[in-house]
Amino acid sequence: MNQLVVETKDLFKIYPGVVDVHAVDGVDLQIEDNEFTAIVGPSGSGKTTLLNIIGGLDRPSAGSVKVNGHELSGMTDNELIDFRLKHIGFVFQSYNLIPVLTAEENTEFILLLQGTPKPERELRVRSLLKEVGLEDKLNSRPSQLSGGQQQRVAVARALASKPDFVLADEPTANLDSKSAENLLEIMAQLNQEEGITFIFSTHDQRVIDKARRVITLEDGRIVSDERR
Amino acid sequence: MMLLIQIAWRNVWRQKIRSLVVIIAVALGLFAGVFASAFVEGMMRQKIDSVIRLEMSHFQVHRPGFRDDMRANLFIEDVSALRQALKDEQAVEGVSERLLVMSMLGSANATGGITLMGVDPDAEATVTDLHTKVEEGEYLPANKRLPILISQEMAEKYKAHLRSKLVLTLQDVNGDMTAGAFRVVGIYNSGNNLFDEQHAFVRKEDLRQLIGIPVGVHEVAVLLNSHELAEPMATQFQQIFPNLEVLSWMDLASGMRYLVEAFGAYLYIIVGIILTALLFSIVNTMLMAVLERVRELGMLMAIGMNKFRVFGMIMLETIFLAMIGGPLGLLLSWAAVAYFGKYGINLSGAAYGEMGFATIIYPYLDASSYWNVTVMVIVMAVVAAIFPAKKALSLKPAEAIRKI
Repeated sequence: MNQLVVETKDLFKIYPGVVDVHAVDGVDLQIEDNEFTAIVGPSGSGKTTLLNIIGGLDRPSAGSVKVNGHELSGMTDNELIDFRLKHIGFVFQSYNLIPVLTAEENTEFILLLQGTPKPERELRVRSLLKEVGLEDKLNSRPSQLSGGQQQRVAVARALASKPDFVLADEPTANLDSKSAENLLEIMAQLNQEEGITFIFSTHDQRVIDKARRVITLEDGRIVSDERR
Repeated sequence: MMLLIQIAWRNVWRQKIRSLVVIIAVALGLFAGVFASAFVEGMMRQKIDSVIRLEMSHFQVHRPGFRDDMRANLFIEDVSALRQALKDEQAVEGVSERLLVMSMLGSANATGGITLMGVDPDAEATVTDLHTKVEEGEYLPANKRLPILISQEMAEKYKAHLRSKLVLTLQDVNGDMTAGAFRVVGIYNSGNNLFDEQHAFVRKEDLRQLIGIPVGVHEVAVLLNSHELAEPMATQFQQIFPNLEVLSWMDLASGMRYLVEAFGAYLYIIVGIILTALLFSIVNTMLMAVLERVRELGMLMAIGMNKFRVFGMIMLETIFLAMIGGPLGLLLSWAAVAYFGKYGINLSGAAYGEMGFATIIYPYLDASSYWNVTVMVIVMAVVAAIFPAKKALSLKPAEAIRKI
């Protein structure tokens, strides 16, 4: 058995209201190193909430969430920010690059926050952008890139800090099919060749088809967990 | 830190027009405030110079009580000790011993009350600029009999001109009425209408004979080599001559102390008001910038930019806005003050002269005032930055990322 990257136990996220909403309702989940996992389910099933909790962006109402053995629920806001910086890569649905920075600078951004020395930064950034096929777009700003290219920069940025895993929330949702295929190829390749763990939340059948494990959520609960 | 500076600087220029509007507002606001202050400061300096160089000198010595009703018999009989003490003092540039009486001035056309000053023309020239203000005729020549120097205002009021005979009626040292006929030898214009309306000059010895004071003077006016020495020197001489009244120009010119102190704060009041207004404009702009970028800020926090850095980035953006506009405004102010400080602003059409101020104003601001305003701009920028930066910190990454 590979090392456990993510482990949740009896995880709940409840939004109080006239009627309490159980966005995550008692989820027990284990994700191992090198997995290529898709969390699927209809809208409102709790995919994004679960991903946010695993990524330390949101706090559970109850239960435990561990990333590489570190319990996240007890961490302060600043500890969580630091933890995310060092351990988790993010790819968001709407690209979310920094508009005033070039592709190279966007990718380098995380390394700068980590205080990585310049020669090492330059080497890693160029190698990553080459891996995602953007070695000729180093100096382009997000507004000069297509949606697919921006998302590839986001992948490069997510990988820059050598995270324990990458969380990708609907990464292909805003892409045309060719760009989506291209992005998925790159991520699958990174998973297979470099052993990078990817966890997706998605509706996209192409992502689901590529995933080696598909976890289905309904009403905040895991209703199926299929390994391929 | 370089990363934050780089991002903040580029963010400033994301909305070029909006940023430029704020920068121009800061620059023009500051220019208006600083230039208005320089105008007032220049006006005050000219007023002070005029008060010192024309009316009061730096300090004056009288017999106690003389200034209350200017009675002729309240004169300083023995001036020798005072004269010697002033001679020994290096800071003293000039001394004028004067006789001073209230007098009725009469011509064929009009009569009115004036202050008549009996001066030694040469000594007076070491203390006041009167000799440079003569526009027609001469400055109390020694070879003319009973000469009088009157102002342009008086010439118009009494319909007098050079060589006109004017009759002065006044009380002598015994309180008896006496009169003398003087001939106009010169007409001066000091630029200070209030002063000009009131003052005429004759030779001290002529006036001495008229009022019957064989020795002594009513007033000793002293000019120093620095305005700043006026008060300490007056205090020092008061201690040396406790039986006399020694007062600096600030106490002699009614209201001047209040005026100087009030206008000393003018720069900071006016610039403070302008900066407060600009502060809200900057807060508004930066708040818009933060609210427009909620998703981006959420993403920055999500991927690991800590709160200190997010706070710092917004602070820097705000400070950049203010600190581009600030120096621009100060530069504009400096250029305008330098130009008008040299060529002056002619306000002869306005009523400044009637209030005792010069009619051509030369704006002035010292270097320390520019520095103080710069500090005020920096403080304003930091204060303006706090609210938008705190707003950015209140964002929750998970929610912010999903904001449209």
